[in-house]
Amino acid sequence: MALINTTTTGVLGSTFFGDGTGPLTVQQNGVTLGVYGNIPAFSANRVTTQSFSNSTFTKVQYDVKRFDTNSNYDSTTNYRFTPTVAGYYQINGNVSFAGASAGYVQVAIYKNGGQHISGSAVPNNTSVGGMATASSVIYLNGTTDYVEFYAWQNSGGALGLQTAAGNNTFSGALMKAE
Amino acid sequence: MTLYEKIKTIYPELTDGDFGFGSIRLQNDSDGKGDYIALWNHPTLAQPTQEQLDGISS
Repeated sequence: MALINTTTTGVLGSTFFGDGTGPLTVQQNGVTLGVYGNIPAFSANRVTTQSFSNSTFTKVQYDVKRFDTNSNYDSTTNYRFTPTVAGYYQINGNVSFAGASAGYVQVAIYKNGGQHISGSAVPNNTSVGGMATASSVIYLNGTTDYVEFYAWQNSGGALGLQTAAGNNTFSGALMKAE
Repeated sequence: MTLYEKIKTIYPELTDGDFGFGSIRLQNDSDGKGDYIALWNHPTLAQPTQEQLDGISS
């Protein structure tokens, strides 16, 4: 956390100068009013296919980062977002399954290894495939809390993803620090 | 044979509605450990034992 070491009062207000270490947190009576600077935000893609067993919730391996402002998204091992600033985060994800002649696709956002928010559940078809999304505002404690994205399909056998850019994305950003 | 197929062999009366957001959740954490039963809350059928699952030939 940055420390304020100088305050300059101007016509329109005050300018605060941090010491250059981490985000700048502004508090009043112990309540965080805002966090400024390199606050956590990320977006990641999956642009190669991934196999999903029939009727099995499987963690989506979003392995290509679009951006990760605070290096809080793991795109190589656990495919999870573990932000280092406590607060309320907007979390979004989507997957696009390859087309199948039967079955549904479903998705869910997991928090700390358990289902937290159920997303859409839509029928798959051979024309456009099956595309499902989930989004929610989720509190994350800034130390141990993390989120991941899981997807499910029941086409009758293993099924892969559509791999065009943007078809499978996972993203999140801090809305309000605490 | 997948875990889902083994469970369906033991309990052919299960439907797709029992899986997914239903009372049975099969899960894969993409960590190389494969599929497993993360949740079993079926009202009448007991969760199959590992012995039962291993006993089904693939």
